[in-house]
Amino acid sequence: MTIYTRGGFALPGTSVEFKTGSWRLQRPLHWHRDAPCHTACPAGEDAQAYLARFAEGRLQEAWETIAGANPLPAITGRVCDHPCESGCNRGMYDDPIAIHNVERFLGDMALSEGWAYPVTAPARGAVRVAVVGAGPGGLSAAYHLFRRGYRVTLLDALPEAGGTLRTALPAYRLPRDILEREIERLLAIGITFLPQHMLGRDVSLEELRADHEAVFLAPGRQQSREWSVQGSVPRDLHTGIEVLQDWISMGSVPQVSSAAIVGGGNTAVDLARILRRAGAEAHVITHNALPGPDAQPDDMMAALPREVAQAMEEGVVFHEHRGIRRLILRGEKVVGVEMVRMKKLRRPDGTLDRVGFEGTETVLHVDQVIPAIGQDVAPDGMEGPLGRKPFFETDAWGRVAGHDGIFAGGDARFHSRGTVSGAVGDGRRAAEAIDRLLRGLALPEEGTAEAIAFEKINLHYYEHAPRAREPVLPVEQRTGCQEIERGLNSEQVAAEAARCFSCGTCFACDNCWTLCPDEAVLKTKELASDGSHYVFDYDYCKGCGLCVHECPCGFIAMEDEI
Amino acid sequence: MSTVSETTIPIAELRRSQLRFRGLEAGHRACQGCGQALAARLVTEAAGPDVMIANATGCLEIFTTPWPQSAWRLPWMHSLFENTGALASGMEAALKAQGKSTKVLAFGGDGGTFDIGFQALSGMLERGHNVLYVCYDNEAYMNTGIQRSSSTPHAAVTTTSPSGKARMGKRHLKKDIISIIAAHHIPYAATASAAYPSDIRKKVRRALAIEGPTFLLIHSPCPLGWGHDGSQTVEVARLAVQCGLFPLIELERGELTSVMPLRSARPVKDYLKPQQRFRHLFQDDTRAAQELEHLQALADHNIEVYGLRGTNADPLDSDGADTVRRGGMRWA
Ligand SMILES: Cc1cc2nc3c(=O)[nH]c(=O)nc-3n(C[C@H](O)[C@H](O)[C@H](O)COP(=O)(O)OP(=O)(O)OC[C@H]3O[C@@H](n4cnc5c(N)ncnc54)[C@H](O)[C@@H]3O)c2cc1C
Ligand SMILES: Cc1ncc(C[n+]2csc(CCOP(=O)(O)OP(=O)(O)O)c2C)c(N)n1
Ligand code: SF4
Ligand code: SF4
Ligand code: SF4
Ligand SMILES: [Mg+2]
Repeated sequence: MTIYTRGGFALPGTSVEFKTGSWRLQRPLHWHRDAPCHTACPAGEDAQAYLARFAEGRLQEAWETIAGANPLPAITGRVCDHPCESGCNRGMYDDPIAIHNVERFLGDMALSEGWAYPVTAPARGAVRVAVVGAGPGGLSAAYHLFRRGYRVTLLDALPEAGGTLRTALPAYRLPRDILEREIERLLAIGITFLPQHMLGRDVSLEELRADHEAVFLAPGRQQSREWSVQGSVPRDLHTGIEVLQDWISMGSVPQVSSAAIVGGGNTAVDLARILRRAGAEAHVITHNALPGPDAQPDDMMAALPREVAQAMEEGVVFHEHRGIRRLILRGEKVVGVEMVRMKKLRRPDGTLDRVGFEGTETVLHVDQVIPAIGQDVAPDGMEGPLGRKPFFETDAWGRVAGHDGIFAGGDARFHSRGTVSGAVGDGRRAAEAIDRLLRGLALPEEGTAEAIAFEKINLHYYEHAPRAREPVLPVEQRTGCQEIERGLNSEQVAAEAARCFSCGTCFACDNCWTLCPDEAVLKTKELASDGSHYVFDYDYCKGCGLCVHECPCGFIAMEDEI
Repeated sequence: MSTVSETTIPIAELRRSQLRFRGLEAGHRACQGCGQALAARLVTEAAGPDVMIANATGCLEIFTTPWPQSAWRLPWMHSLFENTGALASGMEAALKAQGKSTKVLAFGGDGGTFDIGFQALSGMLERGHNVLYVCYDNEAYMNTGIQRSSSTPHAAVTTTSPSGKARMGKRHLKKDIISIIAAHHIPYAATASAAYPSDIRKKVRRALAIEGPTFLLIHSPCPLGWGHDGSQTVEVARLAVQCGLFPLIELERGELTSVMPLRSARPVKDYLKPQQRFRHLFQDDTRAAQELEHLQALADHNIEVYGLRGTNADPLDSDGADTVRRGGMRWA
């Protein structure tokens, strides 16, 4: 018989012989739930998971966790509108975690350290899939297809990959070297990239289909919409996207002293900012409201709120809820515009109608009017799946009804988010759908997993801590391509990771182990199968529910046993 | 619900190889969510294996030792209800005579400490025995069915202090035991709460490092006697501290040497509301309203006399002291 010393384990004949678990009506369970940062991310990144890896000091694993969903974190860490942060539970306590800064830090670190994507090369005779358009949507689809073992052909009409990221995103928001390096090493995993290959000119969809089992179309929206004011169009009309693209590719800015830019999206705002850099007066005229706490979500300008705020700092003038009623011309030259106050009003049938209010007309003196009212899909080579519409009608998996093996996503689909992370998510989902189609598997049920609610977090166990403030370039220095947002340093980023509540996932705080009055929570050195370091000993757990209440992050739930 | 709690690790083996010492094991018969069971385990965890226990009659004694089993993994002796101080004194003297360094702990309930065992305790303190006496304060004689003790708070209902026409629960005040203990001029006396495990551990270690008599009063909710759900034990204990009704303080040689500051004092109602023993105070009745004000005034009095109001956020104040960190790192 083993003799245990004092303090050793109790011998038979002690209370451990008596199984108090039989008293129980309910039992506690470890129950992982998705954090709101995760469910809110259009690209599908699990911020909780990579913040946890970061907090554990496992930086490369943290990056790999991101790269499992999004191959472009150095880019999205800069330009994404980060709905993860709007959803973050900590926002209801003090400030949301600066998730995008952690993402950016890891993305940059992966570039400087040369971390390899978590992929293996497809087999020699692997099935081929084609991807049209090498913007973020196409790049994401190509990457995820490659990860799933397909040989991928990626074509783009332009000489270089990157799509709108390269053609229209100013370097002060997305430095060129970051863009180059992120895309270069993504293509280098083994994706066959065919630049200057335009669908509809160099190859037809039928030809592509002939030697590829499926095709993903992500052409973005490259065709500017028609624009006129009561039939009149300025003689020297350039659309906003053209002006922006010319500035980005050639550094040329139209010689104007003042301009009215029509539209409320990113193009309008970025264009206004580069005109300011060239010394011009820049006015943005939008039907919608400026972003702010009072703005109705369906009435807000499409441009990202922080871009609008920075543009204002730089002296861009915004005219919200305005429309242009008339161009004021001297001969054929624009000398001003007549604006009128407008608002979207809801009609009894539920539709929104834009109404101009008589008597609110004002005149703005400008020597150029530049429309930035959006683009449609350029239909070249895709007329079939477009079916005369200006965008693709798809389901959530990117399938185009009536066109087997054809998928579409990114900006080109109807109801797209119109953002980089949205396009990345579309690419990932389409890759999964293509994989399942080609393997003859059914698609999984649409995810209905609800994020863990703020009320499930036990705030007693977290200390208040302010969010790190990201340094920004002072306004007077914002003249060229220097990046405005400077990122956080490693200590700040680590502090942000440590602020995370770990919503819905055990972070080994020991509370349950420390507080169970019945010694029914045991700690393991190895990971238990649920990913935590704790197991319930149901022989003794009386089902009091104390651990459920005291688990800070809501990882424990009670379940009826009878 | 997706369940993910299977384990392949043999559970009995795991229990044997737990990473920290527990003086109290599973299988004890305490009620669901017992605050005293929790507090007693936390005390033994911090005290470590080289201790012996003298335990007064009461819930703790009963639920840990149903014959022929024991939940203790430490030498443990049951005393009468009234003589724990005397038994602990004798154990200490015997160990001393044998030249052993083993420390003696004495455990008693509030009935066994504030009332019936008081003179034995007072004698133990006065004679200067090297014993840590821990009182698990659940504010009534719980083991015999919730009778009032001198620790029962004012206005609380017990079976012997019902609420009715004449009274709103207990008429008298909770005895200020810590001041009486401190008046023995002992080196260390402190209060603690089941809601602040790190604070308990720190105080136990501090007391055990001192040669001479020391005393710890631990507020330990009783779900049955207080009438709250077993899942709320820690929450209720925390609210008692945060509202000022149960101040966490340390006294050395009778002098107040430290307090756990309140970052923001919660209204006493927040503490009283979840407990059935105070339910009668929430009826529409002027006497009830007056008693609520009375309890609030008692809390405000504590806040004032002990200087509990914190000036700015302190990591060891009532909001900071229970902060948890990834990997289980607490401050004590
Ligand atoms: C000025 C501006 C600023 C923006 N700022 C932000 C921002 O800060 N944050 C954010 O999240 N989003 C921003 N966006 C939106 C974002 O750029 C887009 O949502 C995103 O790039 C869409 O990705 P995509 O892959 O669908 O299309 P795109 O990036 O547009 O890429 C489509 C690619 O397909 C190619 N292509 C098109 N037709 C063919 C064809 N027939 N054959 C071959 N190739 C073809 C094109 O050459 C292009 O390279 C901004 C957009 C603009 C215009
Ligand atoms: C001299 C004597 N009187 C009465 C009892 C009955 N008795 C046993 S336990 C107990 C109550 C103990 O109350 P307390 O000390 O507060 O401990 P609790 O059970 O509340 O933890 C009583 C009255 C007894 N055992 N001995
Ligand atoms: S606190 Fe952490 S896990 Fe919770 S939503 Fe925010 S980032 Fe995600
Ligand atoms: S605290 Fe312990 S006894 Fe209570 S439900 Fe949790 S594991 Fe079971
Ligand atoms: S209480 Fe802490 S250790 Fe226990 S499950 Fe919750 S997060 Fe994990
Ligand atoms: Mg008692």
